[in-house]
Amino acid sequence: MNMKTRVAADVNIVELSGRLDTNSVQPVAAWLDQVTATPGARVLVNLAETTFVDSTALATLVRALKRCQQVQGDLYLCGMRRTVYMIFELTRLDKAFNIFVDEEHAIQALTG
Amino acid sequence: MTSRPPESIILDLPARYSYLHLLSDCIADMLLLVDGIDDREALLYNIQLAAHEVCTNIVNHAYHNSAKGRIRIVLTLHFDDPALQIDLYDTGISFDFASVPTPDLDEVRIHGYGLFLIRQLMDTVTYTADRGCNHWCLTKSLCLEGCGSR
Repeated sequence: MNMKTRVAADVNIVELSGRLDTNSVQPVAAWLDQVTATPGARVLVNLAETTFVDSTALATLVRALKRCQQVQGDLYLCGMRRTVYMIFELTRLDKAFNIFVDEEHAIQALTG
Repeated sequence: MTSRPPESIILDLPARYSYLHLLSDCIADMLLLVDGIDDREALLYNIQLAAHEVCTNIVNHAYHNSAKGRIRIVLTLHFDDPALQIDLYDTGISFDFASVPTPDLDEVRIHGYGLFLIRQLMDTVTYTADRGCNHWCLTKSLCLEGCGSR
């Protein structure tokens, strides 16, 4: 798994590629802990190149979402592949997250 | 028509997260041996995820992430009435599989999706603990195109 982080329009963005699972999620969890500590944090997780998401990865994203909500921030997801999105649907986490088709639409929503 | 015998792969892995991608790779390669699988991409992902979740459960709970145990995995591909069977064995701490509740999906929760996903993504899931050996058996029909709903 590779992660690339940057800030654009005051949004903390992480692009994740490859397998996001128990074996690889720790640095992502650490980054999410860091950026969701700021009041009003705006965070975008780009999963366009993420090929595999397991329950530990889901837990990490839910935890970050809850932390963001606690500081009156937002955490959005974008670019999910169909197979990954199907797991969000199965667990009904598609209702918990704001999910966008791509980064452009997600940033518009976060900054609009 | 001649019946094609099942094909098997046996893995014997140290119980470490870093080896679990090998199981996913084996599942992908085995499914390539069957032509005409309906929605191959989703089926492959679902089987890989269910098997991965069993292994993470074993590493986490059976062995408490001690890196001392092993996971023995037998993948059996059946060509007549195509199906994949995955048997996973560990010698760690057992648990009462039947007593684990289904999570309330109306509540956004951090934990508890692993066993739910295993049960949902496979056709059958059994877990037996007998004399120090725990055995998971997962099966999934490889529905061919035009065979209707899975």
